[in-house]
This record gives sequence, C-alpha cells and structure tokens, in this order.
Amino acid sequence: MKPAGRVVIGCLVVLAAALPVIGANAFLLTVGTIVALNIIGATSLHLVIRTGHVSLGHAGFMGIGGYTAALTLTRLGWPFPLNIAAGAAAPALLALLIGPLLLRLQGKYFVLVTFLLGEILRLGFVQWSGLTGGANGIFGIPPPAPVFATPAAFYWLAFATALVCTALVARVLSGGIGRVIDSVRESERLALCAGVPVLQVKVGAFVQATALVGIQGGLTAHYLHYIDPGAFTSVQSLSFVVMNVIGGMSSLLGAVIGALFIVTLPELLRGYVEMQQVMFGVILIIVMAAIPGGLVELAARARQLAASLSGRAKRGRALSDRAART
Amino acid sequence: MFTLASIGQVLVNGASLSAIYVLVALGFTLLFGIMRVVNFAHGAFAMLGGYALYYFWGSFGVPYVIAVPLAAAFVAAVALIAERLVFRWFYQRMFQSLIGLLGLNLALVYSAVLVWDVYERSIPPAFAGLIEVYGLLLPTDRLMVICIALVVLALFWFFMTRTRHGLAMRATAQDLEIAETQGIDTVVTYRIAFLIAIFMTALAGALYAQIYSLSPFMGDRPLLVAFVVVILGGMGSIPGAALGGVILGFTESFLSTFYGASVSSFASFGVVIALLIVRPWGLLGIPETARA
Repeated sequence: MKPAGRVVIGCLVVLAAALPVIGANAFLLTVGTIVALNIIGATSLHLVIRTGHVSLGHAGFMGIGGYTAALTLTRLGWPFPLNIAAGAAAPALLALLIGPLLLRLQGKYFVLVTFLLGEILRLGFVQWSGLTGGANGIFGIPPPAPVFATPAAFYWLAFATALVCTALVARVLSGGIGRVIDSVRESERLALCAGVPVLQVKVGAFVQATALVGIQGGLTAHYLHYIDPGAFTSVQSLSFVVMNVIGGMSSLLGAVIGALFIVTLPELLRGYVEMQQVMFGVILIIVMAAIPGGLVELAARARQLAASLSGRAKRGRALSDRAART
Repeated sequence: MFTLASIGQVLVNGASLSAIYVLVALGFTLLFGIMRVVNFAHGAFAMLGGYALYYFWGSFGVPYVIAVPLAAAFVAAVALIAERLVFRWFYQRMFQSLIGLLGLNLALVYSAVLVWDVYERSIPPAFAGLIEVYGLLLPTDRLMVICIALVVLALFWFFMTRTRHGLAMRATAQDLEIAETQGIDTVVTYRIAFLIAIFMTALAGALYAQIYSLSPFMGDRPLLVAFVVVILGGMGSIPGAALGGVILGFTESFLSTFYGASVSSFASFGVVIALLIVRPWGLLGIPETARA
C-alpha cells in the first residue's frame, strides 16, 4: 500500500478509536460496536475467500463459538478470557476435523456444502434444547467484566478485537503465506506442482478464520446478554459473503468497507422498517450491477479518471506549447 | 404404524410434494444451467405465484383449471420487467448474481409485506373430500396437484426436446459463444428460458400456498428446497432436478410422517452433504474437467 493510503487508514483508525471520546451518543456507539464485531466475521471470511473458497456456513461456526462461550460461562463459570478462548477453539476444532474433507471440493461445490453445513448446525442449536435452550436460547449472560458494562468500554473492547483480527489477517496475507495462498487460488495444480502443500494451506486458513469468527460469536453473546439460534442462520452467513462481495473480494480493505456499509446502511434508512429492507435490496442490486468489483473498485476508477483527466490536461498543454512555438 | 392407509397417505403426499419440488427445482436449475445466475429471488417468485392464485381463484372466481396457469403466466409476464431491469445485469456472473438477486428477494418480499401485510392467508381449496381406490383413501386436492404438475412437466419436456426453441436453449446452455455463431439469438433464448423458469416456479408456489399457507415469507422453504434438490441432482442438470425432487419429496413425506419434521431435515441435509463429498457434481450432473 502507498504511504498516503497508510496515513489515511491510520487517521481513520484513530478517529474510530476516539469515537466514544468525541461525544458519540449511545446509538452511534451501538452501531459502532456491531460494525466492529461484524468486521471480525467479514475479515476472517476474507481469509477463506482468498484461498478460492466461499463459505456459506460461517455463521454456523460463529454460533458454535457463541454457544461455547456462553455455556462455559453459565454452566462452568469460567472467567471471561477463558470462555472467549474456548469459543475460538471449539469452531476451530470442528474446522480442523471436517476441513480436510470439505476443502478438497472445487469452489462452487464448497459453497453448497458449507451452506448445508450451516443449516445443519443451526438445526442442531434449535434441536439440542437440553444444552442450548432450543429456540429460546440462553438468557442472562453477564457482561465480560464490570469494567465493560458501559457502552463505551464495550465499544473499545470490540474495536480492539476487530483491529487485532484484521491486523492478524493482514499479516498472514502480506507475508510469505499470503503468496502461497494467492498461488493456491490462482492455480491449485500449479501450486501443487511447485511443492505447495495445498490442502494444509487451505485447512490452515479455514481453521484460523473459524477461530476468529468464534470470537465474534462469544463477544456478541456477551454484548447482547443472550444467545439464540436466530442469529446464526444462513442469512447471517450470506451477509458475511455480501460484505466481502460488496466491498470487493480481492482486498482485505474491501471486507472492512463492506462490513461498515452493510451494517450502517440499514441504520441510515431507518424510520420505516419494510421500506428500509426494500431500499436495502435495491441498493444491493444497483451496487452489484454497476460495480461488479465492489466498492474498492470505485477508488480504482476514481484514480483512473483522475489520471486520464490530468493526462488530458498535460497533453492539452503540450499541444498549446507546440502551437505557441510554431 | 405401517398400515395400508398410512402408506397410501405417505405415497400421495410424497408424490404431490415431489411434483411441487420438481417444478421449483427445474426453474432454478434452468436459470443456473443456461444463464449462470444463482436465483436467490426464486422463493419470492413462488410467493408471488401464491398471491396471484389467491386473487384469480379466491377473489375473481376464475375456474380453477384456468386460474392456476393464468396466475403463473401472469407472474412470469410481470417478472419480465425484473428480467429487463435486474437479471440482465447478472447473466454469466455467478457471484454478483448471488448478491444482486438476494437484494431482489429482499425488495420483493418486503414490498409484499407493504402491500399484503405479514399475516397468513389461506387460498380456498378447489377440491375437498377423498376418493377411494382399492380401499385406499386419497385426498383429491393432492391428486389435482400431481395432475397439474404432470401436464406442465410433459409440456416442458416436449418443448425442450421437440421444438427449435428448446434446441436453441440446450445449445445456449452448452456453449454461449458457439451458439451465437450458429445464428441463435441468445437474448430471445434467455428471455424464453426466463419466462419458463418463472412460470414453473410461480405455479409451484401457487400449489404450495394452497396446500400450506400464503404469506410474504412463504418463499424461504421453496428456495431452500430448490437449493437442496438442485445440489442433489447436479447443478444445471434438468433430469437431475427431476430425480432430486422426487427423491426429496418421497423421503420427506416418509420421514416426517413416521419420525417427525426435524429428523427428516437432518437426514436430507446429511445425505446431501455426504453425497457432495463423494460425488460433488450430484447424481446426474456431469463432472467438470479439471480447471486449468
């Protein structure tokens, strides 16, 4: 990334961190917290997408994380860091077990299998009512610690976690493993021939992504004080994919922008609930039809436009110079 | 529990469910196989079919045998606007279509909420009572569903295999560019395929809404079913969609009658996942040659 881009992103991060201080109201903080939590899911899914596999079962893994965190707290009384860790470990373990089977599949079949897997997990949350409380879910989950009881404190917690998760994914993608992941996506066979352990790389990315989204599940349970299967439907999985596609599938920044866009847009259209959903649907159509590369493509187009404009200006000056000389 | 009466009931229910599932899945697989769009708005068109039947048959009192195809044709004709405004942007773009049509689904479902409110309605039954055949009691309305579906499927089969437009459609599905060089007008072919797909979906939605209930959110179930059936049979495969629909319809009827609805959901999803891992291209799909 260019230095100018880094400075802009740095400023935005500082601005976002300072949100509670510069006098944000409770509404803004709530939206901010939900955005931060969703950034975890979107960026972690981005890691899987970069290997060439789009998972439609990400919310199922988030649910496992959420229920594990909630149950280790309410049933076993584990302290906050431990139950978040358990919430990260449980989906990662499942991903490690089934990943080698699922990730052998080609892209579009992987989409379908993970979709069904997500549905099965959700059915599991509803049916295993002895453990999960069935359709009613689990109530009365206390905040992580008395310190985090205020909205501002929880916002910082969510924000810091999102920042760490995004940085982690960015680090993975920008290092040597990132090159390997790119090679797996571009041509699996060629990567295999070059000695890349393709399946291990894919499973590794999948496990890491599910662990991160498990953290989102755990934090969400703490934030809302309850957990129910309705939060982990295919709609939520789809919304993670939508965030990535709307933002732009080819860059991590796209996932962050997409999460911001998808969470805040319905809030901006608030006022009349049905109309809000209709508008949201129409906007999804327009964005996808007009800029198939996602919102990140807008920036690239703007740059191109600027370049062509300045190019034309230069050419124009050169022409007028020549005209002056002759 | 396995009495003659219950077996007969399971078979008739299974056949009528299969009929509806095959219609829904054929529309879905047609759109995917020919235009490469994942139609997430499929359930919404099924829902519109239900409301169309509600008005044509329930309110205007058009004779039932005319009202059902009329309702489906009406929805398909109106859907041409959606084809022009929305679908055309997403042809041959799988991921973008997934998101864009999800948006269309949201827009249609919540517009329906605005117009018709969320409460559930029921479409008055066209036939009541039972027919006795060799000691089996068969509900007439289910038999009617089976008959309508069979007629439509026969017409569809005839169209695809015996007409020039059907041939053009199959050619376009195989290779868009080669089809164009052979002088096939793919824009028209796409439009016909779209009309047929939405017609079948709306028809299935109308029959489904009459058996169960009618509400703006009723489309979720047909969409899920279309997804599962199409995966089971093989994405884009027309005989696969028919076979998958029949398998799912009978399995669901059998398992949910004797073991409960949740067992049947678990079983059908589990089997489909297992199948996908062993044979990802589905029962009757064609394995893709390895990507470069």
